[in-house]
Amino acid sequence: MNNSYLSILDILVTNERVPCRFLHDLPKMGFMDPSAAEDDLKAGATLDVPLWLAENFNSSCRIPLLTVDLPKIYKDAYREILNADACTVDMQKLGQHFYELGCYVAKHDIKGETFRQRFRMLMSASVSSDSIGSIQPLSASERKRAAAAAATERALSGWLQRGDCPLTTANMVANHRKRKRAEMEML
Amino acid sequence: MDPYEIEFIGENRVVSIIPNFTYEKIYLICGEFGPFRAGLPMNVPLWLAVMLKQKQKCRMVPPDWMDIEVLENIKEEEKRSRFFTKMPNEHYMVEAKLILGNAPEDVPRASEIKTIIKDIWDIRMSKLRTSIDTLMKSGGNYGRLDHLTMMEINSVKPLLPEAMDELYRIEKMTQKTMPTSLNTSTFSQSGSSQNL
Repeated sequence: MNNSYLSILDILVTNERVPCRFLHDLPKMGFMDPSAAEDDLKAGATLDVPLWLAENFNSSCRIPLLTVDLPKIYKDAYREILNADACTVDMQKLGQHFYELGCYVAKHDIKGETFRQRFRMLMSASVSSDSIGSIQPLSASERKRAAAAAATERALSGWLQRGDCPLTTANMVANHRKRKRAEMEML
Repeated sequence: MDPYEIEFIGENRVVSIIPNFTYEKIYLICGEFGPFRAGLPMNVPLWLAVMLKQKQKCRMVPPDWMDIEVLENIKEEEKRSRFFTKMPNEHYMVEAKLILGNAPEDVPRASEIKTIIKDIWDIRMSKLRTSIDTLMKSGGNYGRLDHLTMMEINSVKPLLPEAMDELYRIEKMTQKTMPTSLNTSTFSQSGSSQNL
């Protein structure tokens, strides 16, 4: 998204692992695949590699060393789900940085449409009293937005209620032992 | 922005009061007000009016629009129209809250007025929410905020502009070509997964 070199978000996003297939034998690189028995990485091996590393593998050689596969969430099956109803997808599980990572890897774009559809969830998350339940399926950036919106909402309702709300006893005072005894004595 | 900051801005609006004391002109940063003559209506900023009211030095004169019939008309209009209607006052909510909160006895039928203003506010807020949702769904690139008051605009503030920003960024990134290092591999790969 924000392609500044020092952007923390960008660093986190490029640190997401993407499935890659190696096209050539790489000598002495077997350590990258924990299940490999040999020292060399064989052609055709598939590994989950951080995006920044995959990019560097390809840009540091004249020939591409690996092909980057699409992460599962950007594939056809999920694209259809997202097209049908983006709100049902749990981004927390499937793609913490769905929009940001998508800008790097996904060619056929549904991110804009997904964002539009899921915007309703942001709005309802900002006013919902069940904050944990409504925030659960949101991606990292969506959560940030929903939290900011909820803060505004709280400030506004606080302002609206100020003044004409009657003074109420604080919970702590109401539950205080002495208070209770006084009430019971009255009864 | 915090609602209290907007209240602060709204407090600069001039309202009229009837003081019950006599005093010469006072000179304030926002202008000069007075002289105060007991029993004669005069204009002061809202914050000063509230302060004097709290010291019981004046009676507030409700603004013209703070009237059951006027407000009923506004409410009907607001209900009928698909768009936002013009409010009598840029800070109607702040003014209503401060005047009705501090001087309910100076406004005839204060509690009814309070209910109507709250109704209008609620109608407008729900209209705002639905129109934002339609704006997002329909894929519009801009929203018109005609006749929205400052408090209402503020209520959607971090969410709507940021969402529009994000959408713009996503769409811009999509139009741009992919970085060259990933270009061939990603494209051929995702292309083939397309055909599966």
